[in-house]
Formats: sequence, C-alpha cells, structure tokens
Amino acid sequence: MKNLILKSVLYIGLILLALEGLVRVLHLYTEDPPRFIDEKLVEKRVPGHQGYAVTGNRNQNFSEFRINSFGFNSANEFNPSKEDFEIALIGDSFIEGFHQDYDDSTGEKIENLLQGVSVYEYGYAGYDLANQMHLINAYAQQFALIDKIVIYLNFESDLGRAEYQPNYGRINMLNSMVFKIRDNIKLLAYGSKIGILEPLKRLVQGGEVNKNENEQPVPRENSDNNEDHIRLTNFKSLINLYGFDKTKTSILFDSRKTSNEFIEFCNSEGIDLIDFSNAFQRSKKPTTLIYDHHWNNNGRTLIASQIAEHFKNSIN
Amino acid sequence: MLFNSLEFLVFLPLVFFLYWVVFKKNLQHQNILIILASYLFYGWWDWRFLILILLSTLVDFYVGQQIFKNIDNKKKAQYWLWVSMAFNLSLLGFFKYFNFFIDSFIEMFSMVGYEMKSTWMLRIILPVGISFYTFQTMSYSFDIYYKKLKPTKDLVAFTAFVAFFPQLVAGPIERASNLLSQITNKRDFNYDQIVSGLKLILWGFFKKLVIADSLAPIVDDIFANYADYPASTLILGVFLFSFQVYGDFSGYSDIAIGTAKLFGIELMSNFKFPNFSRNVAEYWQRWHISLSTWFRHYLYIPLGGNRVGKLLSIRNISIIFIVSGFWHGANWTFIVWGALHALFYIPVYLMGRNRMYADNVIAENSWFPSIKEIGQVVLTFLMVSFSRIFFRSPTITDSFAYIKQIGEDFSYAPYAHPMGYRMVDFYILIAIFTLYEYLIRKDERSPFKFKSRFVRFAVYALLILGMLLFYDDGVNRSFIYFQF
Repeated sequence: MKNLILKSVLYIGLILLALEGLVRVLHLYTEDPPRFIDEKLVEKRVPGHQGYAVTGNRNQNFSEFRINSFGFNSANEFNPSKEDFEIALIGDSFIEGFHQDYDDSTGEKIENLLQGVSVYEYGYAGYDLANQMHLINAYAQQFALIDKIVIYLNFESDLGRAEYQPNYGRINMLNSMVFKIRDNIKLLAYGSKIGILEPLKRLVQGGEVNKNENEQPVPRENSDNNEDHIRLTNFKSLINLYGFDKTKTSILFDSRKTSNEFIEFCNSEGIDLIDFSNAFQRSKKPTTLIYDHHWNNNGRTLIASQIAEHFKNSIN
Repeated sequence: MLFNSLEFLVFLPLVFFLYWVVFKKNLQHQNILIILASYLFYGWWDWRFLILILLSTLVDFYVGQQIFKNIDNKKKAQYWLWVSMAFNLSLLGFFKYFNFFIDSFIEMFSMVGYEMKSTWMLRIILPVGISFYTFQTMSYSFDIYYKKLKPTKDLVAFTAFVAFFPQLVAGPIERASNLLSQITNKRDFNYDQIVSGLKLILWGFFKKLVIADSLAPIVDDIFANYADYPASTLILGVFLFSFQVYGDFSGYSDIAIGTAKLFGIELMSNFKFPNFSRNVAEYWQRWHISLSTWFRHYLYIPLGGNRVGKLLSIRNISIIFIVSGFWHGANWTFIVWGALHALFYIPVYLMGRNRMYADNVIAENSWFPSIKEIGQVVLTFLMVSFSRIFFRSPTITDSFAYIKQIGEDFSYAPYAHPMGYRMVDFYILIAIFTLYEYLIRKDERSPFKFKSRFVRFAVYALLILGMLLFYDDGVNRSFIYFQF
C-alpha cells in the first residue's frame, strides 16, 4: 500500500509537470496583462506588456495584444495634437479587443477606412459608463485635443451605478496570491479557462450554476421597466457629474438591447447616437466569436464601417 | 453515481481505503463494505429502486438453493428455475416493456380499424441497470440448474455479487462461476493488479470523455436534423455514432473492469476491439461479449444451438439476435437492429466462417493487415454502422426516413459543427484513436503495454492532455447504455 501511495503521488506529480510543459509549449493558456489604478484613479493595464490571448480548449482563437505606454491595448501611442484628427474609442472588453490581433483591431479598421485619422482605443475589460466618464474627466487635457469621442455603451450592463469609485477590491483580488498562483501555473490558468473547475465550483455552491457569459441576452420586451428607469437615472447623474461634450461625443450602442426611454432621452438632449443593430441584423455571417460573446472579425469590421460612415463627412 | 463525476472521485478512494486498510483482515467485513458502497452508488440515482435489487437478490438466493436441493428431480428443479425467470422477467417486463406492449397492442388494433385509447399507459421510470443485474441473477439460477455451480449459503457474498458497484448498472454481465467465487474467497492486495486497474480506468476515461463525449453533440445534431442534411453528412453521422457508442460503452466497461481490479476482483472482458472485426460473427465475439455469451449459453445452446440442423440453427440465430435487440429497449428500432444483424450473420454461418476468427486478430503475425483484411474490416464496419441507424433513431419511421434522405439527397456539403468547432480536430482524433487501438489490438486488458517507461509515461500525459483539449462542460455526460 505504501508503495502504491508513494508511486501514485510521484506519477501524479510528474504528469502534472508534463502537462504544465505541454500547456506552455502549445500555448494553450491565455495571458492577462496586469491591471492597476493610476494616480488619477483610472483603472488600466500596466504599460508595456505584450502577449497572446487564447480562446477555446484547442487554441481555436489566438491573438496578440500589446499594451501601450498609456495602459491600453492599441497599436497606437496616444499623442493627440491640434493638427491631426483623432478619434477616441472607449469601452469595455469589446473595445479592448483581446480576441483579435492588436494591429487588426476595430481602431485599425477605422483608420483603414478613414485616411489620415488616428484611432485611440481606450478599451478595458470591465469598464462601465462610470469608468469611461471618469477616464475622460480625469484626462481632460488629453481628451480636449481629441476630435471625436465614441463611447461604447452596453445599456444593460454599463449603467449600474451613478458615480465612479475605483474598484480596489478587484485589483487587490487579481494581485492576490491565489490569482498570482493561478496565472503563473499555466495548467491551472488553462483548466480554469476551459471550465474544468466548474463542477467543483458548482459542488461548493450547492449545485448553483454560474452565470454563463455566453448566455443569450434577455429580449427587451421582457426586461424590467423599473431597472431601465434606474439605468437612465444613472446615466443622467453621470453626465451631470463628469460633463458630456455633445459637440464631439457619440454613443455607440445596440438598439435591440436598449430601452426606448433612453434613446428618446438622448434624442431630446441632442446626444449623438451610432446604432449598429441594423448592420448586425443584416449580416449573413456571424458577428460574434464561436467560443464567447465578443465580436469576431466580421463584427468588428461592421462596427468600424458604422463609425467610419458616421464620421466620414466631419473629416472631409 | 456516474463514474465521471466528482462524487465518484471522492467515493472511490474512500471505499478503496476502507477496503484495504480498515477491513483488510476480515472477508465478511469487506463484502459488507462492498454491499454498502454498491447500494450507496446505486441509491445516488434513486434509492427507491434498491428494493428491486434486494428482491432480485433474495429471490435468486432462495431459488438457487431450491434448484440445487431438487437437482435430481428435473421437474421440481425446472419449476424453481421458472420461478427465477418469471420473477426477473416480470421485473423487466413491467419496468421496461409494459408501455411498449400496450402501445403495440393499440397500434395493432388501430390497423384493423379499432381505435383504442391508451388508458393503460403508466408513467414508469426505468430503473438504471435493471437489464444488467436481472440477467446476472438469472445466470446464477441457470448455472445451478445446468450443474455448473453449487449455490452459496453466504447471503452477504451473494448480495455483494448481485450489487457489485463497478458493473452493477452497465455490465459486464458477470457469471456467478467467475464473480461469486472471487467474492467468497479472500482477496489479497496485489500491487500489479491495482496498477493494471488504474491503467484501464485511465483508458476508459479517455474513450468516454474524449471520444464519446466530444462526438455526442455532432451525432445528436445530425440525427435530430437529418431531413436538412445531404447524404455526406448523414453518412458522417452514422460513422461518428459508431465511434461514439463504442467509446461510451467500452469506456464504461474498461472503467468497471479497472475499478473491480482495485478491489482484487477480475471481471470478464466486454470488448475486444470490435472495429477491427473481419466479419459480423467476429464482431459479435468482440462487441458486448458478456451479453452475447449470455445469450449463447442460456438461450442459443438450450434451443439446440447449431446441433439441430441448418434450418433450426438459422431459427435459433434469428431468435437470439431479435431477443438481443429487444433486450436493448422497448422500441421497434432495436428489434429491427437485431434482425438486421441476424441477416448479416446467417450468410457467414452458412459459409461456415462464424468461428473462423475466434482465436486470432487482424494482422496476427505482421505489422500491417493484408488488402483482403482491410476490405473485410471496412465491409464489416459499414454493415454494423448501417445497422446503427436503427439503433440511434428515436423511432422506426425516423430510421427509414434517415435512409431515404441519404438516397434522395445524394450529394456532398461540408458539415459545420453545431458549436462551431473545427471538424478537422475530430477527424484527427478518430484517426489517432483507431491507429492506437490497432497497435494494442492483441490485448484489450493492457492498453499501455510499452516496454519503455518513458513512452508509457508520455502516453499517460498525452491522454490526459486529450481530455483537457476536448473537455466541454456543456455536454451531457451520462452513459448511453444506462438507458438499457
């Protein structure tokens, strides 16, 4: 029995080591550049990180990212000037775009469609409108030099609060020992990514299933009017608190997932809207990745063409 | 409890520890532990059906003794054998076939213009594994009747024999002469046997989690939407189902045999690389061996086997295949599937080739098979796969519609995975799996028989990597044969 236990432990250890090696060699794990909160209380990535984001068990989606000196995933450095025409594209993971090479991002696609324009992508996984408004406010000087600002707003998930507060809890959690171990042991990072730990989590949570990020959005007609009203109130609060330059700021949104009350309010206030729902609905090809809900190359191309079309006249 | 569940991951080491450390010195205590563990294992699904196992145990324990007591009085012995059969087949008949018979009667009457309402239909849940353990207990009574076995007086050992958890719900269907004798004798802790068991468990998990579970969504999609697909996709669906059902069931059997080895018990082999069979007769010597030998010993031979002339032998072959189909489930699809196999088997029998490959494997003395062997294997695989259209379809109408669709839309179109995965990954997987099975084709109980420790270790690591590469939390991971 002793022999069996000793050998089992030895074999399990060696197999885990071999798997760690295989996962590294085949680059099955995804890399997540570290996050921090800067001196202006803006949450962003630690500058200078490069690596690869991976989706799917078998490396089905593999893309390179590059964090610029300002702390965002972009091919451009952010040096706006009065002479040049710049567009700031602000949003969450959809704009951060780890699911496609940084040099083939939505911003790059817009630049290809609009000659002489630079697109700065301020995308960060987890941003809501409060983060975005605070970013613009905190770096007011930089944004003053930028000609157009596009804020990607997911109405149902980005209007949960009326005021920005830096999320130290999340940063501390991601910098904690447990997460550091997970990120450094690539086998664990991989196992966690493909959901191998989900049954264990379910067992611990007493059979409760976690909310799946691939879950289909609830149809608008089923959504709660009261919640929609709270979202609109939060929106009003945020634009009052941080200011909203209507002359150069547009909201990129999907009207299929946005309340009419919100759209009517924006129209009445003269807030510029870019609705990409028709383009997505008309598309014969899928617009999102197979393995998660983020936009795929086709989705990004459609978004880029919507934005380029919207600003085509302003630039000329 | 499923083998591929977290609960089992906790359950197995715990029972193993109690068995070899706490109760090591006392056989009776070990057997009681087997019973408790087995009842817990089974009761995890539905504890109410434990009563059926217990009843089946008690009836056959008593019947076995009565048969033996009257062994010289053929009429009385036969009477007690009928009691066992009547009881076990009634259990099966009620829980598995009741609605089927009522439904079939109603359909039969409606064909002659008499409409009946199905007021007799019952909402019966099929107890998991009922077809397996009832056949196992019946084999005990049969063996005593045929004087191959003496009944045991040890009720604990007999209860452990019926309920032994590794093979309780999906076989192999053991014979008392093999399993009961091991349970009544002292087992010793044997390091090599345990390691061999662990290897089989690993191989079984690979077959289940990687081959069967990864192909399941594709097969489900094709069979559910067959009317929308061209012939190329439908043929692909049939082939992939062949690999799925093989991976699923043989994977289960390997885990069962491996788990039994951990407790010092050797179960019979249930699969011997059936995909390399050179004719349908060889296929049935390699596929679900514990069931096909059961039917041979307890049905085919008592009916006269092949000693009764060609015509009656053909009748006997037809009976065992149709009954074997019916054993799988209360559906005409299984009966047609069994009948098809009888049709495939009879010509082989008439040509006298049914025992031709009983003692050898493809490419027995060479690295590569001959062209003739490749042709035979391909033809057998095609026939067996074709029959599986009936096995997999939900109704007989669907089976024929599936075949009709192949004929009507005989065209090619690339198939896209329902979840969007690369199909080429699955083709490569099947190719590697088939090649590996070919390499180990001579010994189904030693899947990692490599001299080099390094090669063995590399294979273990790659198999586990395969499980990760094809892991999908969303796939229903129950075993196909649990429904039978």
